[in-house]
Amino acid sequence: MDERIVMVDPDTGLKLTEEQLDERSAMATVQLRRRGVRAGDTVLICLPVGADLMIATDAVIAAGGVACPLPADLDVDTLRSRIRESGARVLISEAPRALEAADETRVRIVMGVADLGALPPYPIRRDFCTQSDRIERRSSGD
Amino acid sequence: MRGDHMSELPRHNLPAEPNRFVGRERDVGDLRRLMGETRVVTLCGVGGIGKTRLALRAAAGLLSSYPGGVWLAELAGVGRPELVERELAGVLGVREEAGRPLLDTVAARLRGQPCLLLLDNCEHLVERCAEVVAALIAACPPLSVMATSREPLRIASELVWRVPPLELPPVTGRSDAESVRLFLDRAAAAGTRLGPGSLPDVARLCRALDGLPLAIELAAARTSLLSPGQIADRVDDRFALLTTGGRTAPARQRTLLCTVEWSHDLLSAKEQVLLRRLAVFAGPFDLDLAEQVCAEPPISEVEIVDLLGGLVDKSLVLCDEGRARYWLLETIKRYAAERLDTASEREILRERHLDALCELQEHHFATELVEPGVPWEGRLEALTTSRSLADDQRVALGWAAESGNPALGLRLCAAGTALLPVGGNPAEIVAWTERLLALDLSEVPGELIARAEACLAYGLEARDELDRSLEVAGRSLARLPPGDAFTRCVLHSVIVVVLLRMGRPDEALPHAQECLDLATRSGDTWNQAAGLAGLSAVALTRGRLREAQRHGEEALARAREHGHRWIMARTAAQLGSVAEARGDLVTARSRYELAVPWLRELGGDLELARCLARIGRVAAMSHDFGVARERLAASRALAGETGQRQDMARCLAGLSVLAECEGDLAGAVLAAAAATTVRDSIGRRPAAPGDPSGRHSAALRDLNGRHSAAPGDSIGRHSATARIEELLGRARARLGEGRTTSLWSRGRAMDSDDAARHVLESEPLAAGTHAVTEPVRHSLLTAREREVAGLLTRGLSNRAIAEELVISPATVARHIANIMEKLGYTSRAQIAVWAAEHPRASA
Repeated sequence: MDERIVMVDPDTGLKLTEEQLDERSAMATVQLRRRGVRAGDTVLICLPVGADLMIATDAVIAAGGVACPLPADLDVDTLRSRIRESGARVLISEAPRALEAADETRVRIVMGVADLGALPPYPIRRDFCTQSDRIERRSSGD
Repeated sequence: MRGDHMSELPRHNLPAEPNRFVGRERDVGDLRRLMGETRVVTLCGVGGIGKTRLALRAAAGLLSSYPGGVWLAELAGVGRPELVERELAGVLGVREEAGRPLLDTVAARLRGQPCLLLLDNCEHLVERCAEVVAALIAACPPLSVMATSREPLRIASELVWRVPPLELPPVTGRSDAESVRLFLDRAAAAGTRLGPGSLPDVARLCRALDGLPLAIELAAARTSLLSPGQIADRVDDRFALLTTGGRTAPARQRTLLCTVEWSHDLLSAKEQVLLRRLAVFAGPFDLDLAEQVCAEPPISEVEIVDLLGGLVDKSLVLCDEGRARYWLLETIKRYAAERLDTASEREILRERHLDALCELQEHHFATELVEPGVPWEGRLEALTTSRSLADDQRVALGWAAESGNPALGLRLCAAGTALLPVGGNPAEIVAWTERLLALDLSEVPGELIARAEACLAYGLEARDELDRSLEVAGRSLARLPPGDAFTRCVLHSVIVVVLLRMGRPDEALPHAQECLDLATRSGDTWNQAAGLAGLSAVALTRGRLREAQRHGEEALARAREHGHRWIMARTAAQLGSVAEARGDLVTARSRYELAVPWLRELGGDLELARCLARIGRVAAMSHDFGVARERLAASRALAGETGQRQDMARCLAGLSVLAECEGDLAGAVLAAAAATTVRDSIGRRPAAPGDPSGRHSAALRDLNGRHSAAPGDSIGRHSATARIEELLGRARARLGEGRTTSLWSRGRAMDSDDAARHVLESEPLAAGTHAVTEPVRHSLLTAREREVAGLLTRGLSNRAIAEELVISPATVARHIANIMEKLGYTSRAQIAVWAAEHPRASA
């Protein structure tokens, strides 16, 4: 396979390959969905420019959401009014200012970069799986 | 109520909703789904934002997902961090075991079926809650936790879910925004119909209130007097006023404070006084209690019903439909407590609260046990009411200790059936009594101390501290005034139990006789029954079966006269063990069976588990295997719920008897070995060095102790050891030394549930753990998803797959996320492996 590099971090010089991007954004997509992100939902992303921003943006789009970037260098009040205007339920950020600004808004869940990554073991609770899953089990049970 | 009717039990303790739930439809749905993904979800937000209500709503829709139940623990009334696990245990029906941390017992209970714990209002105990939740989550794989708190628990694996305010309307005032819907609903409930013309004002008000549900409810409750526009103006004025105190608080907190204050200031002077005084109650209260505690100038007892009604109308106090129970929301309660402090009324109200609790609990104690001629319904009602006051009793005891008032505190301990409910918690009453007895007692009348010591002796016996119990009981007896016949009788009964457990029946005899004589003179049927049961137990120990039978029969007759199901069950069990001793299994079983409905009525789980185990054992010995199996299964389920290893060991021993009687010697060895492992895990020594071995001695534990093992229990440690030796002897003879040894070590390592299941379901040994059947997965995928999965085996990137299929890379990413979700995989590589192994499924 070709080792296509999709970006190089300007600070660290770390490279993100296409394969890594695909893999990590796939995980991140699942994570977003598990936290309730649905098609049409606005998801705020307040991350420094770099691989994580790229992955998060790809993941939000793959989850069917609308990725809404927030510059991390805005002051708290501006951030808060931007967050309020967006009506977003989910914010992806680790910036303390953004977390503070998310108070008193309609954001339900704040996800850090780590939350986009490692997937916890898939839940064993089958009853929480998708509708099609349930139908599948019913019909195979007969 | 329990046991073999387990499937009919409600598997939750969620309260009915006090009024309509408005809005938040998507949030409720999201939260329910999240609980399937995440084990700890904390709903965070300021007071009044609606955390509790949302959590209850979400949890109510999850009942079918948690076969182990959905259990709400309300922590607002829990004053001290160390009481968190006690509250959980209480909610789950788990009982404290001697010598084992309560949290361990709770964890053991939660390791069974999937369970959801709902911890409401964690903020004031957030550190302890975090520790408890972290420990339980680590120890109990099937457990999920939903918490509400102003602050997150800050533990790994916690998902913090910020509860937002209700959706606000645009300035034009559309009526479908959540906040407007709530306002209109509550205004209508208060009898106000608002026309479309008022919508702009309602919208302005909802915006001014930041969409805070509690603030909206408080405002809507005033619409009979003020229009939405007027309310909005007044609340606005308040904000202008509130420039000092709450200025640094977050905006929403300020809004709420303003609204609560505004609502409070609109109250009549007397309503204000009552509201702040209601802050003294730990839990829900009834009108009676409010009258007794809060009637102090300027308000009189007769006014309280109307004042309370006024507070309910203004949504500051909540109540159930029948107005039997009233309670305050946490936010209001905190505000009320502040006002109480400001008015310098805290101490006097705490005193009144302690006083009232004393009076009430003494009254309930007398009705339940002492007064002659009370019908059983009356006694049961007293017991139930007394139990429902347990939280308030704890607060009152805490105040007695804190304010240095041992006299009232000790009285409350002695009347403490609420803390010593049937099968209750001896550790707690012992701790309270000792704490109070350690205070300066120079002003306390001797008889009060003596009565508290009687209670202590009783608790110590239940904790197996026999020497101390005997010593304290003797001292108490010497100090008690002769007139207090009831307490004297109880003490004699405690001494009888202790002496029998110590193997000193000759010394026990006069105490049993004295108990009976005293009770006969005072016409006290409870203690007549207890004394006679003591005489029966003494006779049984000495091998005088006919005498034991006669006393036992008379004890049951006296107990029936009294009517209390506990003493009736106890004396019936005594008769059962006498019958068992003379080898009459049929009678033994019928006596034990008598006790079952009585114990069910009482909700005495511990006694019921033991009684069912006894029936199971006797039924097995009389080869009535169906009944034996059913009773032992019920007993095992109860032992699992209350978390009592002693009961689990007893049950396994019963199952061992069952297996052997059925001819399954291997199963009998396994169950006996598993029982031994459970007993070892308790690590409890036999009660005292002098504890006699043999079947009768064990049959004599607990003549009066409401919590210790009931008589007729012939599976004490010694007799259990003896039976196991005999069983192993027979097994060696029939199965051979090698097989027996291997079965024994296998049983020793077996989980108690597996061992029990083995006998109960006669599962073939080899079955062991069932392989979890893989769901048929490939057909879950759509044709396109299968195609994408197939391309992944070639190691293609999203971009390459997109080119191949002529779709966008984002669409490829979505397909891959779908596949991962459906198959439960966590990486693209896993999909590739799966697709390679299932070529047809993915082609």
